[in-house]
Amino acid sequence: MGKIALKDIYLPETATAVAIRQLTPTEKCFEFKLDSGKSLGHMPGQFAEISLFGIGEAPISISSPPHGEPTFEMGIRQVGSLTGALHRLSVGDKIGVRGPYGTTFPVTTAMKGKDILFVCAGIGMIPLRSAIKYVLSHRKEYGKIHILSGTRTPAFRLFSDELEQWGKVDGVRLLETVDQPDDGWKGNVGVITTLFSKISFDPKNTVALIVGPPVMYKFALLELRKLEMSYANVYVSLERKMKCGVGKCGHCQINGLYACQDGPVFRYSDIAETREAI
Amino acid sequence: MLKVLDTAELGTWVEAIIKAHDVIGIQARADKFDFGPLAKVQDLRLDYDVSLNAPKRFFLLPDEKLFTFKKDEAKSAQAAEPFVLFGVHPYDLIALRQLDKLFEMDNPDVHYLSRRAKAIVVAVDVQKPSAHVFAGCLGFEHVEDSYDILLTKIGNEYLADAATAAGEKLIALGKGFTKADDTHLAARKKIWDENKQALRRHELKPNKAQITAQLEKSYDHKIWKEKARLCFSCGSCNLVCPTCYCFDVADRLNWDLASGERVRTWDGCMLEDFATVAGPHNFRNQREARYRHRYYRKGKYVPDKIGEFSCVGCGRCIGACVTHIANPVEVYNAIMEA
Amino acid sequence: MDRPRVAIFDFACCEGCQLQLYNLEEGLLDVLGLIEPVEWREAISDQSDSYDIAVIEGSITRKEDEERLKDIRKRAKVMIALGACATIGGVNKLKNQFDFGEVRRTVYGKDAEAPHLDTARVKAVHEVVPVEVKIHGCPIDHFEFGTILKSVLAGKTPSIPNYPVCVECKKKGNICRYEYNEVCLGPITRAGCGAKCPTGGFWCFGCRGLLDNPNVDAAKEVMDIYGKTVDDLSGRLLLFNNQS
Ligand SMILES: Cc1cc2nc3c(=O)[nH]c(=O)nc-3n(C[C@H](O)[C@H](O)[C@H](O)COP(=O)(O)OP(=O)(O)OC[C@H]3O[C@@H](n4cnc5c(N)ncnc54)[C@H](O)[C@@H]3O)c2cc1C
Ligand code: SF4
Ligand code: SF4
Ligand code: SF4
Ligand code: SF4
Ligand code: SF4
Ligand code: FES
Repeated sequence: MGKIALKDIYLPETATAVAIRQLTPTEKCFEFKLDSGKSLGHMPGQFAEISLFGIGEAPISISSPPHGEPTFEMGIRQVGSLTGALHRLSVGDKIGVRGPYGTTFPVTTAMKGKDILFVCAGIGMIPLRSAIKYVLSHRKEYGKIHILSGTRTPAFRLFSDELEQWGKVDGVRLLETVDQPDDGWKGNVGVITTLFSKISFDPKNTVALIVGPPVMYKFALLELRKLEMSYANVYVSLERKMKCGVGKCGHCQINGLYACQDGPVFRYSDIAETREAI
Repeated sequence: MLKVLDTAELGTWVEAIIKAHDVIGIQARADKFDFGPLAKVQDLRLDYDVSLNAPKRFFLLPDEKLFTFKKDEAKSAQAAEPFVLFGVHPYDLIALRQLDKLFEMDNPDVHYLSRRAKAIVVAVDVQKPSAHVFAGCLGFEHVEDSYDILLTKIGNEYLADAATAAGEKLIALGKGFTKADDTHLAARKKIWDENKQALRRHELKPNKAQITAQLEKSYDHKIWKEKARLCFSCGSCNLVCPTCYCFDVADRLNWDLASGERVRTWDGCMLEDFATVAGPHNFRNQREARYRHRYYRKGKYVPDKIGEFSCVGCGRCIGACVTHIANPVEVYNAIMEA
Repeated sequence: MDRPRVAIFDFACCEGCQLQLYNLEEGLLDVLGLIEPVEWREAISDQSDSYDIAVIEGSITRKEDEERLKDIRKRAKVMIALGACATIGGVNKLKNQFDFGEVRRTVYGKDAEAPHLDTARVKAVHEVVPVEVKIHGCPIDHFEFGTILKSVLAGKTPSIPNYPVCVECKKKGNICRYEYNEVCLGPITRAGCGAKCPTGGFWCFGCRGLLDNPNVDAAKEVMDIYGKTVDDLSGRLLLFNNQS
């Protein structure tokens, strides 16, 4: 055997929580700062492995757009051990970070010069926010922008303050819907695919980014096909169980693909025939 | 470097190695054979058929510390000690060669690789085929690289082929080694040819490339459902396999609830919750989907990744499956019949 | 964090699991440092009425026990079922196989009709009240107990395996009992004990209960491969995994 790599790919670096805010009853937004003072160096769509020593580790999308600073944001839903313990963090507490890992939304390639359709279902908004903010801060490099957002109830709208700001940007159309309205809700009611009929876009000149729970993809893709979108212009981000994030542990496999390396962002035409994908 | 040693001299040589190194060697265990710390040369059984446990367990430990932590500080745990692994069969060495590639590629895994780098591997050509071996059908009955020393028993002599400096140093510990000549190489070639026929306790009809190609069209074959009906999802076929390397990761706390260690432990794609995420949502919920995955991994997914067929034909899964459904030969033969 | 108040209660069982806790030895002192034990009869005699964690040992065999258990549940934030009697009904469930009157006569002879011996269908704790954590085994494994307790105290969901004993058996590198035509319940039994019995050279008798989704049909169908019958398998299942 030859040379040995010195870096331990499983060893996290540390970061400190610098801001925490409640987004919905089950989600919080965390701003972390790498203790090394370096920037995480991610692009929209990527994730990092977040650790609390003694509790465990989980893949979490990076929700802020890239910038040269050592800080980054994550939106985290409380579902179990690690996410529960993260929700108990206070500003100043430390976490472990490995990453960034995985593929990115094609913000600097296929999306350039195109109209963009964002389809954000539930916590799909969390990874897409990085791309949305990136696109809005490079507004001139893209055409018309549609942002579709769907949540269970109005209480679960993520980044609702920012949503309103995005909707006001020139050339951006924002449409929201909820599955179940409450008394104050005046907007659309219904699943996210019902919003497709309310917008008009040029399928030949549009790139669509879709992220949401596993059940949503089939329906959204079907709708886009009806609207004559080519799957080559559709990008999805797929969640899988992940234990290593670096292509070793085998948990994230989608047939022969690795969600942690070949994904989480996939061009849909590349995986349309992959049986375990959607 | 090619040398020859009289079988009568083997003992003194191995004794010298045991004195100089930690040796893990093949030996008898109940009515079977297994690798374990070799205390005395008499225990070494180079005439074994198959080891109960694949040698991967000395490099990818069943339960392995990745790092220790104390509150917010973590320290990588890499303390691999050098050792000699004595008596590895060719198919198992080929499996290690595959794991080397997989752990090296893209993001090198320092834990596995440092153990490998510190181990000296003495391989030995098979002298007695096991009950289920079919490595001969795959061309994995012999190996021409990846060892430090390859031993082949030829009549009353062992041909010792040292391929590395570490291997040559081991040979230098012995007395009575003489020079080998072409007749020895010809004799070894003959043994390889014989083993190609002998290591075929199950007859695989298609060749490796045909299997990989056929899997392209076999996703909905009836065999998956038929076989999986009797599957316990017990993972035995994964865990005994010399090329399976999936793992789980977890944290273990000390009693102070602040320090502890992160460990990785063997896992297997046949286990029910292998692909289950919070929700809970299981991405491979059906037994047949998990059952199918293993054959695709061995026959297509890993080959697509590293360019080598990933079942080496050791036959361990065949013997380990309590319900007798884990035979890759039966499965790959069946899919060829559409 | 204040030390959580922990109370242990026993119902019908041999109290062997509680004894396992003393096998923690030095660990026991660590435990006592992390928790405030209440009503831990065998360790300390202190009575109290509310607890953060209630540990229940034993299975529920009488009506009054059900009431007592429900009362404990009301006063406990987290309920832990300790040992096979509590998690699956354990050996006590064997009784459910038989006519209750006959059980009483066999066990108590002529005193069988005394009212305090009124016996009902044996239940595991979760069959009466909700349980947050199950610590399986007969007896429990004190190492696993420690791991689970640490998890609970650290605020993390204890990971209790839903894979079979075979996984731990293979990690240990054991020779499978089926190689010797012995019926081992490992393939359908929940792991967590480190495959204690096969490692010691015996078949697994299923003391940790069945997996969430055991393939019992497969277990039955393979019996003839090993020259055994479905009755051989059922007999073994009866001991700990009587479904009645
Ligand atoms: C690429 C990627 C990006 C992600 N991005 C985000 C994000 O931005 N925000 C976010 O909130 N989440 C995100 N997730 C999901 C997140 O990783 C999970 O919610 C997280 O791993 C849950 O960990 P936990 O320790 O809190 O839950 P756990 O305590 O591990 O599990 C909670 C529940 O999950 C199920 N479960 C999990 N593991 C197992 C198992 N081994 N066996 C059986 N059941 C199991 C069980 O039902 C369990 O009750 C992302 C996931 C991926 C793959
Ligand atoms: S699949 Fe079976 S025969 Fe092939 S290498 Fe693995 S254990 Fe050996
Ligand atoms: S995916 Fe399955 S077959 Fe492949 S290495 Fe992992 S456990 Fe083995
Ligand atoms: S060993 Fe047999 S029963 Fe167990 S998971 Fe593999 S195929 Fe299924
Ligand atoms: S001895 Fe029992 S637990 Fe171990 S592998 Fe065999 S069947 Fe499974
Ligand atoms: S091997 Fe089986 S019977 Fe023995 S302790 Fe483990 S679960 Fe219980
Ligand atoms: S998360 Fe481990 S291989 Fe992808």
